[in-house]
Amino acid sequence: MSRYRLNVVLSQAQGRNPAKRALEESLAAALLMEPGLDLSIVPYLYDLDADHTGRLFLESVQGDMVVLGWMYPRAAFWLLDRDGIKGHFGESQLKPPAADDEDEDREPEPPQGIGSLNVPDRTIYCLDLRDFDNHKAYVEEVQRIAAECRGRHAAKEAEAARAKLIPVELGLARAGVAPAPTPSFAPEQLLAQPDRRWYPVIDYSRCTNCMECIDFCLFGVYGVDNQDRILVDNQDNCKRGCPACSRVCPEQAIIFPDYKTPAIAGAPVGGISGLKIDLTKLFGGGDAIAIAAQERDHELVRDGREAVGLSVGIPKRQVNKDQQPKDEMDDLMDSLDAMDL
Amino acid sequence: MQENLTFLMGKFPAALPGNLHYARNHMWCRPTDSRLRFGFTAYAVRLMQDVYFLDWQVSPGDAVELMQQIGHIETSKAVADLFAPIGGKVVEFNSELLNDPSPINLDCYAAGWLFEMEGDTAGTMSAAEYYQFLDQNWEKTQRMLKGHM
Repeated sequence: MSRYRLNVVLSQAQGRNPAKRALEESLAAALLMEPGLDLSIVPYLYDLDADHTGRLFLESVQGDMVVLGWMYPRAAFWLLDRDGIKGHFGESQLKPPAADDEDEDREPEPPQGIGSLNVPDRTIYCLDLRDFDNHKAYVEEVQRIAAECRGRHAAKEAEAARAKLIPVELGLARAGVAPAPTPSFAPEQLLAQPDRRWYPVIDYSRCTNCMECIDFCLFGVYGVDNQDRILVDNQDNCKRGCPACSRVCPEQAIIFPDYKTPAIAGAPVGGISGLKIDLTKLFGGGDAIAIAAQERDHELVRDGREAVGLSVGIPKRQVNKDQQPKDEMDDLMDSLDAMDL
Repeated sequence: MQENLTFLMGKFPAALPGNLHYARNHMWCRPTDSRLRFGFTAYAVRLMQDVYFLDWQVSPGDAVELMQQIGHIETSKAVADLFAPIGGKVVEFNSELLNDPSPINLDCYAAGWLFEMEGDTAGTMSAAEYYQFLDQNWEKTQRMLKGHM
């Protein structure tokens, strides 16, 4: 059990924000001192393309993993999933300071998505480095997670021993004894600065495979896999800055991690976010579909194409406002009612 | 000349000058010479609280459609995308605000003006109509606020 090692990945912020760099440095220094952890540092996760050494490294990691980055946990988890770096979603105990206990009691209904496929039996914990400006909270949480993983690993080993299985070198079942990262991932390669990217990330815990996104996007970003499941196929076809498809998704399953408003950037759905209120609906007249159509037209025109307004790829149920499904504001109000204010 | 109205947001009196037009996205509109000047209503400012940062993503001279996204705002309590209150041409932004957005909080109907456009006021509301609009939506908004203040 003492041989179990937890992989910890620190994903740097974009740019040269001194406060962020300082937090990364003190966090890395503290984590390097912790026993039982293997720390690696990579650039901003969202910008890593398939050839980047950092991504190749992440793909090689077997076993449980903690990923510390500058985006919402949900965004990080699902972008890793799309990169083939899959696992169970690890629950973090870290809550941003402004969130209070009432959030815990009033869990939103679990979503009914199609989920991810071929998920290996390991857990990925994603932590958001924007929540605290002191590294200690993160070190404590990593320690807590390491203890949780060790416990889980020990339980698995005990069960395997009971069943008298020959320990097959799957790498996954024996996550704890996976070797340290191979020397071919040299630090300067790992940290090579990638170009900025922009593409949607699907949260498959919420995605119902309704296909509205693929109908809506006219730039060929979406496709389907060989099981007819929706997929972000041509990520780099996506028009930088455009979040339109995210507004169209009826389950809020589409995330743009770099977008400015929390709902689209991957903040927890439903309930009250501990961070700032998003007043976009109030200032935008509340019609997400119309805004999405505007944004799409803007990109079409910039591309030298014709604007289409609401005439293409808008599902009928969205056009008929009387039967419009509850929007985020309604859900927020319902959950406030439940809190009995 | 319409009378000045006051909409009560709980105990807070949001002033609604009678001589302005109002848009559904909580901006006021004042015709000046050949242009229309816009800013946030006291209602919007009360919801947002202290403005920290304002960012425009269109430039002077750009034509915009009604409800096209034109910018983004971040305050002590909120973030929001911002949208065009009417269709038309944006001609000028209040550049003072980009260095120091506090006039939005201190003087939202004058020094805190946001931008000017060429266009017309068709589709905007009178103070009385805006008051009704706020009244119809106040309970909804109030419940949202209680969760955050």
